[in-house]
Amino acid sequence: MSGNGEREMTTPSDELRDPVARDAANWAPLVQKLQASGVSGDAPNLVDGRRLVGPLQGFGQMWQKTYWVRLSGSDATPAEIMKVWRARFPEFWPRGNRFYPPLAGLEPGEVALFSVSTGPMRLSSGVLVLYADDESFTFMTPQGHMLAAWVTFSAFMEGGSPVAQAQVLMRAQDPIMEISLFLGAQKLEDRQWVHVLSFLARHFGVEAIPETRVTCVDPRRNWSQAKNVWHNAGIRSSIYTLGAPVRWIRAAIRR
Amino acid sequence: MPEIFEASVRHVDGVSVIDLKGEMNAVAEQALTAAYHQASRDSSKSVLLNFRETTYINSTGIALIVAILAQARKMRQRVLVCGLGEHYRHIFQITRLADFMSLHDDEASAVAEATSAA
Repeated sequence: MSGNGEREMTTPSDELRDPVARDAANWAPLVQKLQASGVSGDAPNLVDGRRLVGPLQGFGQMWQKTYWVRLSGSDATPAEIMKVWRARFPEFWPRGNRFYPPLAGLEPGEVALFSVSTGPMRLSSGVLVLYADDESFTFMTPQGHMLAAWVTFSAFMEGGSPVAQAQVLMRAQDPIMEISLFLGAQKLEDRQWVHVLSFLARHFGVEAIPETRVTCVDPRRNWSQAKNVWHNAGIRSSIYTLGAPVRWIRAAIRR
Repeated sequence: MPEIFEASVRHVDGVSVIDLKGEMNAVAEQALTAAYHQASRDSSKSVLLNFRETTYINSTGIALIVAILAQARKMRQRVLVCGLGEHYRHIFQITRLADFMSLHDDEASAVAEATSAA
């Protein structure tokens, strides 16, 4: 506003250049290294001190995987669906996989932790809430996560029905994870999001089978990122699990 | 009412410039992909994304830019960016897009860098 109370004209380009743009609160602040403070539950924290890694920084082929479910017959709005999904995110996860949300909720800049079962072993890592608005929110993965990914959850109207969608843009972070994806981890991941969407639909009184579309965005591998194996979540989760007795003994001595 | 997204292609000194206008979200996918394919048909070594008239970018819009970067990598093209304000420069840093593309204040400096590197 100008000093005499007249509203200044803003052009679209002015708005984009505005340091306090209208979506500023929707984005996480710039963080060099993650800090998962204030996470509910007894989650193994293997993300503190890790940098964020997007799909461009990963090793493997780049995939875009879209999972969606049509909530036919539901009169819920996209905003209502997203409000429930965001607030009750862990409840829609498959049994045996645990998601530990930040105490502040899935707000931009917050870090959540999770622990998932991948056959004989458990993998523990976390995600940063990169973006959140009324109709979508996005997670970004840290170093050590099995994927270098963004996962965007959204809801929208299509053909008169609300649709809930999870879209994953991802690469395996390192060669070990790339092999794991081809040996079955891709299917486990697909099953995870199909389960989540089925349970979300059920929450809104809809029984529906989610659909999936998978596209290979870049078939080449980033060999310069093969070094990411140093942070591999599987290796670190195994070390964490094997170290449990030592931590119990230490805790007992401290008491 | 959300703004319609438009993407158009022009050429400046051998650089394909894609002018992006409006709100960059899921709705932008078709127009952006079509513009990128048009820009790539001309076998330009460099593609400049001009955000000067983009009013809003959400996380889906950022994911679209990642997909463009991945395709450019396949085509061995360099991607440059101009016209981003302070806020979106910041977003490009958070998302680590800035690691993969050079950000310029204006079109002239971006084209100058692209042509000097060619």
